[in-house]
Amino acid sequence: MFDPSSLWDVIVLIGIVAAIAPWFGGYLGRIYMDRPMPGDSILGPIEAGIYRLLGTSPRKSMTAAEYFVALLVVNGMTWGFLYIWFVFQPSLPLDATGAPAMSWTLAFHSASSFTTNTDFTHFTNESQLSLGSLVIAWPLALFVSASTGLAVMAAMIRGFVRRDGTLGNFYVDMVRTISRLLLPLAIVFAVILVLLGVPQTFTNTVTAYPLTGGTQTIYLGPVASFTSISLLGTNGGGFYSANAASPLANPSALSNLFETFVMMLLGFSAPFAFGKIVRRRGEAWPYAGTIYIVFGIALGLFIAYQFATNPALASIPGLGPQLGGYPVGQETRFSLPEGSLFQVVSVYSNVGANNMQIGALQPVSQLVLLFGMFTQSTPGGEGTGFAMLLLFAVLGIFVGGLMVGRTPEYLGKKVKTGQVRWAALALLSHPAAILVPFVVAVVGGFVTVSSGSLPATAHTFTSVLYEFTSESANNGSALTAGGSSTFNDSTPFFNLAGAAVMLFGRFVPIYAMLKVGGMFSQQETLPPGQGTLRTASVTFTVYITLFLVIVTVLLFLPVIAMGPLSQIVGGG
Amino acid sequence: MSGSPRPAPVEATLTVGPAPSPAPPLVRPPRAHSLAGHVRVAAAFIVLMVLVSGVAYPALVTAIADVIDPGSAGGSLIKYPNGTVEGSEYLAQNMSAGKLGPELFWARPSLTDYNTTLGADSPPGPTDPALQALLNETIAYMKLYGNFTVNATLPFWWVAPSASSVDPDLVPEAVLVQVPRVAMNNNLTIGFVQDFVNARIVQPILPDVGVAYVNVLELDIALLEYTGNPAW
Repeated sequence: MFDPSSLWDVIVLIGIVAAIAPWFGGYLGRIYMDRPMPGDSILGPIEAGIYRLLGTSPRKSMTAAEYFVALLVVNGMTWGFLYIWFVFQPSLPLDATGAPAMSWTLAFHSASSFTTNTDFTHFTNESQLSLGSLVIAWPLALFVSASTGLAVMAAMIRGFVRRDGTLGNFYVDMVRTISRLLLPLAIVFAVILVLLGVPQTFTNTVTAYPLTGGTQTIYLGPVASFTSISLLGTNGGGFYSANAASPLANPSALSNLFETFVMMLLGFSAPFAFGKIVRRRGEAWPYAGTIYIVFGIALGLFIAYQFATNPALASIPGLGPQLGGYPVGQETRFSLPEGSLFQVVSVYSNVGANNMQIGALQPVSQLVLLFGMFTQSTPGGEGTGFAMLLLFAVLGIFVGGLMVGRTPEYLGKKVKTGQVRWAALALLSHPAAILVPFVVAVVGGFVTVSSGSLPATAHTFTSVLYEFTSESANNGSALTAGGSSTFNDSTPFFNLAGAAVMLFGRFVPIYAMLKVGGMFSQQETLPPGQGTLRTASVTFTVYITLFLVIVTVLLFLPVIAMGPLSQIVGGG
Repeated sequence: MSGSPRPAPVEATLTVGPAPSPAPPLVRPPRAHSLAGHVRVAAAFIVLMVLVSGVAYPALVTAIADVIDPGSAGGSLIKYPNGTVEGSEYLAQNMSAGKLGPELFWARPSLTDYNTTLGADSPPGPTDPALQALLNETIAYMKLYGNFTVNATLPFWWVAPSASSVDPDLVPEAVLVQVPRVAMNNNLTIGFVQDFVNARIVQPILPDVGVAYVNVLELDIALLEYTGNPAW
């Protein structure tokens, strides 16, 4: 029944990304190097003007601590702008639909969600968000959070090549990320989306009169420009609450493939930006290899299980055979491999957009998606995903060095206990940020289903775990299955706990990344000795891949056991 | 992505020694910003970014969109001959409702009753008994109002709830299974309606890019136009 030839467009798309990633990664890297690059003649004077306006200078290079302070201040102000906008939504511009003010806990959750590049929503866009919130407030976070992630990556990588203890100027990194990367690409991609059928207008609603009577409200707005930066910046927030499953946001198989490409572009190019900045192109391949191996296996598993039939539906009278994949919670216009590619790319890149309903997926498919949020780095969110992969590598090099009795060093810098401590903290913070609130939610009786009592199904546990995992990984995809296992996450508890998890899951690892980069930048670069482990090699690629997978499985086994595993083994 | 282990030590020797520093040596970096300094710089940055991301960017894209593809930009609206908006090419509507229902092809069921204000609802998980109940209910409804025999088998891709709750498309077999009812209620022959549907199947632009499908709303309007139904 499954025809392997239907995979060809999926393979071609991955091939296109693989072919341009080394080149595009080179461009991405040059943005963060103090060297002339294309576009300087036009953008150079504009950027110089902006630096004067802001009152900073590219020559002001910051230590890890100062870089983090600057990052916190900018992100804090973004958060504040969003929070105030959401609370006073009805009194602010562009409120045509009469969306009510958000409660303070919901605004707290939403502002935290958008500022941390998570874009997990506890509301229905169509009825609870004004056009102003969608056009003016939320897009600020779409741009700021994406460029923050890339700035952190750039700063951490600079640690490997600098020797003066500094990591660069945060504001300059932000401005250059936006002027040279996000804004021009977002404009081009948005125009392409319009050509593929996505709306772009300032009209908010149109009332339609269907053939069979009644009325239908058609929600419109600048959907193309919103979707473009949301996917490019791995934010994943949708203009519509159906996200990329909405036919207006993702009208055809072609738009689906294009949106997949937009999500893949930066994540799969990041290793080559690293190779460019540290001036050793060969060092990019182990990371690219790790990403392709883990991502490829995940995609294969996901497609296989979405083609499998659901035994629970075998006895339904009058139900036709399952042709072309499991249709529940899927859209007609995408073929199953294309739909799956979008979904796996989205979750593995911590975009969190969805073109299907994750809650309706087969348990193994849900587990595959969870694994991507556990690693956070294959390829992971904008910038921070690759930085996380570097933390895995730092830890792996340290452990590997100890195992073979060699000096743990990387790119001529010694890996010392200081860096290892922070890398381990960043990796450990992730399961902690999932398990602690999960236990509080379940034991504290905060999980309520439609019937009002604490549910016992494994599927509900999976939903709650998925929620905190998505929030801690700054992913934003949701597994809110309908039916008897639905739990209500729009409560003060889940708003506040979720916001805390997202802020923790964003800024603790970022601090660790900057700290590790800062420690490296304080060291002299040593010539490789006899004991140096060669890292631009197949051996290192395999080692890092295995290290990442094994560490992730060990860290998250308790999490998996409580939700998806019991669902696969025991059903329910 | 061959992590080519290139045995020649050339690359290694190139990268050893006092490694090249990409940045010009910053012996004494300019003084750091104070916290108040950071707040001033960040505030200016946020004001600038609100203007760029919230005003200039969407306005520019809208201006371009209005020129290159006003139809898409406006939501691909479908209008009655008199200019009133009927709906959007991309949003399914409840075709089984009302007096006209029996004469039309029906889209996939909607968990939100095609009410876009409610957003999208997720169908129950695969092992949830609620899923079986939902499918049983849908099949019973379709059979009761859709003129099917008791033992008829309905296509899975027709009765299964979609992701968006407003999926406007159907796979061809889900349309063809409705042909006898539509033909009867419009006083047309089954063979004619079959050909009518087959002529409106959207084929993939390249083999296996997307699937063959029929846009139900466009099909229904074409049918009403053909029969000269006063509803259109």
